[in-house]
Amino acid sequence: MTTTPQTLREKTAAEDLADVDEVLAGNVAAFEGIVRRWQGPIVNMAWRYCRDRGRAEDLAQEAFLRAWRALPQWRRESSFSTWLFALSANLFRSELKRFPTVTVPLESASEPSDPASQFFVLRERERHEVLRRAVLALPLRYREPVVLFYFHEMDVSAAARTLRMPEGTFKARLSRARALLKRRFPHLETEHATLEVSTLNNGKEV
Amino acid sequence: MKTSETIQDEASTPHIDNILATEDALIPSSGFLASVMERVREEAAAPPPIPFPWKRTIPGVVFIIGALAWIIFELIRRGLPTVSSPQLIIPQITPAIEHSLEQAGWVALALGVSLFSWLLSRRLAGRSGLL
Repeated sequence: MTTTPQTLREKTAAEDLADVDEVLAGNVAAFEGIVRRWQGPIVNMAWRYCRDRGRAEDLAQEAFLRAWRALPQWRRESSFSTWLFALSANLFRSELKRFPTVTVPLESASEPSDPASQFFVLRERERHEVLRRAVLALPLRYREPVVLFYFHEMDVSAAARTLRMPEGTFKARLSRARALLKRRFPHLETEHATLEVSTLNNGKEV
Repeated sequence: MKTSETIQDEASTPHIDNILATEDALIPSSGFLASVMERVREEAAAPPPIPFPWKRTIPGVVFIIGALAWIIFELIRRGLPTVSSPQLIIPQITPAIEHSLEQAGWVALALGVSLFSWLLSRRLAGRSGLL
């Protein structure tokens, strides 16, 4: 029997429901199943918000505790994961407003230029990291859509649901955020194309 | 998770998409699950929070609202001579009624303060185990 992503999602949702029912019936240990299933996504989501591993785990832990406390209030209108992501996003947003991450201003996120070709991989990594950190320097209203859009593997409706925002508003903010990033990193596309060509050429020479 | 549409608008840049979408997944540390469950168990074992005593508070709130209303009424009444057309706002009050109203107000205020201090002392005594 093959397992499709759809059946996997349904299985996970059923397990979530069963665990929630058990927790609400007084079985504290059943919450472990929920944490086990969702610890990866929640830690990664927190990481995308702050890019600090230690803090990401602290934030994720707090998110699970909030979920534990709020479990009786979950109205089951959406899936458990949607509710958990929305709750976590709310928490991460408010925590990072209170104690912001240390970021460089968007204007000072420089684009590396003309490194030696042998450092291609290293340069790529560095540039990718600069871009990811630049996302954190975006204004919050644009930052969150970017963070959640890529966290949800570019699924607009899932990311908009997490933010409890209409899809149209979400798309508008995402578009604005990308425009800001594009303006900040104007050579990214052209350099990428050039580097792809040079990589191909190197491959031929070897 | 890619169930609905993915967008590629005019401002989108495929390379930026590639960089931001293909991020290495962070694996939670080995003790993460245990530490979350420890805190959850601690919280589950803690006694439930004491609910706010609304029933006891309501008389006090009603009294305070009444006292405030009376004070406002008094202030308006005393300020009436300076207002150009007071007869439009407040009905005429004879001096005798006015005097007795004032007396009653003071009595009500004194009773209220006594009641409040009695309730407060009972509550404090109850908390300290004296009651």
